[in-house]
Amino acid sequence: MTDDLDRELRAHLENEADEQRERGLTADEAQYAARRALGSETIIREDVRALSAWAVLDDVAQDLRYGLRLLKKHPAFAIVAALTLALGVGATTAIFSVVNAVLLRPLPYAEADRLAMVWENVNLPQYKNAQNTPAPGNFRDWRDENSTFTDLAAMRGTAFSLTGNSDPIRVDGAMVSASLFRLLQVEPVLGRTFTADEDRAAPSRVVLIGHSLWTDRFGSSPSIIGQTLQLNDEPYSVVGVMPRGFRFPDAEDLLWVPLGLTPQQLANHGSHFLRVLGRLKPGVTLAQAQVDLDAIAARLTAQYPDSNTSVGVTILSLPEQTVGDVRRPLLVILGIVGLLLLMVCANIGNLLLARASARGREFAVRAALGASRRRMLRQLLAESILLATLGGALGLALAWWGVSALRWLAPTDLPRVTDIAVNGSVAAFNFTIAILAGVVSGIIPALQSQARDLHDSLKDETRASATRARLRARNLLVIVETALGVVVLVGAGLLLRSFVRLSNVPVGFKSEGVLTFRVALPAARYRTDVQRTAFYQQVSERLQALPGVSSAAAISFLPLSMSGRTTGVSVEGEPPPAPGQARFVDFRTVSPGYFATMSIPMLAGRDVAWSDTNATPSSIVISETTARSFWPNGDAIGKRIKSGGPQDNTPWLTVVGVVGNVRQLDLVRLPRPAMYIPAAQDRATGDTLRDWVVRTSADSSALVPAVRSVIWSVDSTLPITRVQTLDQVKSASTASQQFNLLLVGLFAVLALVLAAVGVYGVTAYSVSQRTRELGIRVALGARPGALLKLVLAHGARLTLIGLAIGTMAALALTQVMSTLLFGVGARDPMTFVGVALLLLAVSLGASFVPAHRATRVDPVVALRA
Amino acid sequence: MPPHTHRERTGLLQGTLDMLILRTLILGPAHGHEIAKHIQRTSDEVLRLEHGSLYPALHRLEKKGWLASKWDAHREHNRECKYYRLTPAGRKQLIAAESKWQRLQQAIARVMAAAVRA
Repeated sequence: MTDDLDRELRAHLENEADEQRERGLTADEAQYAARRALGSETIIREDVRALSAWAVLDDVAQDLRYGLRLLKKHPAFAIVAALTLALGVGATTAIFSVVNAVLLRPLPYAEADRLAMVWENVNLPQYKNAQNTPAPGNFRDWRDENSTFTDLAAMRGTAFSLTGNSDPIRVDGAMVSASLFRLLQVEPVLGRTFTADEDRAAPSRVVLIGHSLWTDRFGSSPSIIGQTLQLNDEPYSVVGVMPRGFRFPDAEDLLWVPLGLTPQQLANHGSHFLRVLGRLKPGVTLAQAQVDLDAIAARLTAQYPDSNTSVGVTILSLPEQTVGDVRRPLLVILGIVGLLLLMVCANIGNLLLARASARGREFAVRAALGASRRRMLRQLLAESILLATLGGALGLALAWWGVSALRWLAPTDLPRVTDIAVNGSVAAFNFTIAILAGVVSGIIPALQSQARDLHDSLKDETRASATRARLRARNLLVIVETALGVVVLVGAGLLLRSFVRLSNVPVGFKSEGVLTFRVALPAARYRTDVQRTAFYQQVSERLQALPGVSSAAAISFLPLSMSGRTTGVSVEGEPPPAPGQARFVDFRTVSPGYFATMSIPMLAGRDVAWSDTNATPSSIVISETTARSFWPNGDAIGKRIKSGGPQDNTPWLTVVGVVGNVRQLDLVRLPRPAMYIPAAQDRATGDTLRDWVVRTSADSSALVPAVRSVIWSVDSTLPITRVQTLDQVKSASTASQQFNLLLVGLFAVLALVLAAVGVYGVTAYSVSQRTRELGIRVALGARPGALLKLVLAHGARLTLIGLAIGTMAALALTQVMSTLLFGVGARDPMTFVGVALLLLAVSLGASFVPAHRATRVDPVVALRA
Repeated sequence: MPPHTHRERTGLLQGTLDMLILRTLILGPAHGHEIAKHIQRTSDEVLRLEHGSLYPALHRLEKKGWLASKWDAHREHNRECKYYRLTPAGRKQLIAAESKWQRLQQAIARVMAAAVRA
């Protein structure tokens, strides 16, 4: 192509020279004239070359080399800009890696979107629970009568004491239908899954083990198949090992045994304890399945009005079931970090503008030398992109570090936590947003540099107009930055206020100074109530004898641990409730001294006692709410209630005491009616005591070895798990709120710093550009106070405009967080006002330094400058 | 180095130079030197093209598909020259450019006539 042009130009020169010679010039003169008429061949060649695509790449390479040289020449600018960018990009990438792992990547099951959990949908006046665990009778009828699922499988979570061949440990697992693994389309890495025969009434003692249990406890030995494990003191034969990472239905599950529902259970519609998974037939939608099961549920209601009135069906896709609760919080956090990234862009834009002041002449000279505007724009963008790549690389390193911190900090109930990692798509995201951020931050300075007139830039005298334009651009960026800052800070403020509210919720007990741990008794060895009571009483007495321990007791379900049991009850002397009108009560089994240990106030009557046994009339202690809603006249003591209907063959339970309300499942839910059953009268429930509480005046953690030896002095085969303080339990119950607050709070601090730097930058720039004006003012007698006010007012004006815009944006945006809030509205005035005052204070603080400098301008120096 | 870009060197709007080149080639294929001379002569030496500005324009028009080129022997001298000819697309472009030019010219003429009367 270049050769072609050379030939063409040579031909042109010869033609022109021929013509000139014909006019009478000598050969030399003719050649010279021809050359002069053509002009610079170099420029022609440049112009032609600029038409080809390769030329663009060549120019880009040149721009990049030049940009790199510039960055090396101004390392301070390069470092500050790259670090700021890295912070924004790294934070965004880290959050994206969580979103990617938890929300975006498909679940590790074939066609996971065809998998769905099926729940009962209970909607009674006193008991609203959109997702209740299905009763086996309902499960069977759904399974047998539906036409939209290939199959349904049932599960029931449980825990096993694994004993023999090493220390006793407690392992979570599930009792599952044999069809579960076929539904999930998961194959074992070793052995086989269950046969239908093993999943009958009186199920076979066979077990599937999880991969990590196989590697950690059994050394990945292939001979594990056929071996016998002692689970809850019963022998189980291992038939298979599940693949690495397979945990179902809960994230800790590592052991699976056949569920084996009995014919009696399969006919039961009133006892709700299963979880049900289904696989939709190909092409069937969730809505179609819902219609199908709704019709079955309606038939069941007609057929079994006592148990199935107001019992519908809720179908949730497995992805929705797994991550539905965390989607909103994660997206809100991603949105907030995105705003932070925009603030970073504005900040870097500001830095670039500041540098553009210094480079104004460089660009004027380049323009004068013939560089086209497009070419110079490209140069500026190339520099931005170079900066972006640098910032992106640093950001990726930051994100890598941030991701390990996130995995460590993430609440344990965050699904798919172990999948969070910096992988290819996360890295691609990182560099994409880094480049985008670089281009966005480069746009305003680049456009602004184009707006200037060549002559003005070359002549120093008229510099004022360029600086004014630049100051306008910087003002705009600071306003944008402040507005974004308002939104981020309001988000953080709302979460903070929610968290404070949540932490101050009266839980009903005193968590300080209480150690808790779990010891579950295997049913095979502790068959009778006498055996169990003997164990409880012995352990209680020995624990209380420990130095520093004031009291010790046990309960079936510790408060705030998201687990518990509920039953419908009848009150003596009241007519049987109409179908769907039953009263529900949370019930717990406790040992004597539980209320004293937890510092739950005894309001009337007495505590449960060891003398309350299955041989004496059944006694219960009820909560204040129960007493008030069942016996509003305040005469609850001595009254009787029973589980189920008045005609049911369950014992009457006599109220012997009333205690204060306790938040049972979590901090958010208001206390529901509750009753406590004495440990030695567990025939009413069959619940055993698992969670122990020990109140101590000494350091709780120092007590742990003594506690272990007490338990093992009574029974040396029992695993002791969940050793923690009650404070930790309380704190863990707000783990997801803490996680959200921690992240958003961190972003808010960064936002505040960025806003301060932005205001500082623009006021300092304005002071430096106005030195002469300020000098004149000083010379004319302006007081330092007036100058201080002048500069502070500049910063304050920008901040106020930003606050106004940001507040409006926040009012519109915070609604999306309302489900994350507790006890404060999404438009909480306190938060909005507080954020505005904070930002105003920070901005005034940031402009104070330049303002102070303004007061010290020496008029003589300033005017001579 | 001259202090202006090539567009300013031509003294013509870019579109105008393109139109003149296309108009010249409607008479038949020509090489660069002939095109320059033709524009100069037919404008009574008013439009003195800087020869250097011609070649980037020719290459650009060829890239757009309005011209095609071929190396061929010079009619008089013993040398090869690159001859440009109009493509059908170039012909269409010329018609479009000409009508646009007519409108512009008339508009300017009206403005100028009004200015003279005022």
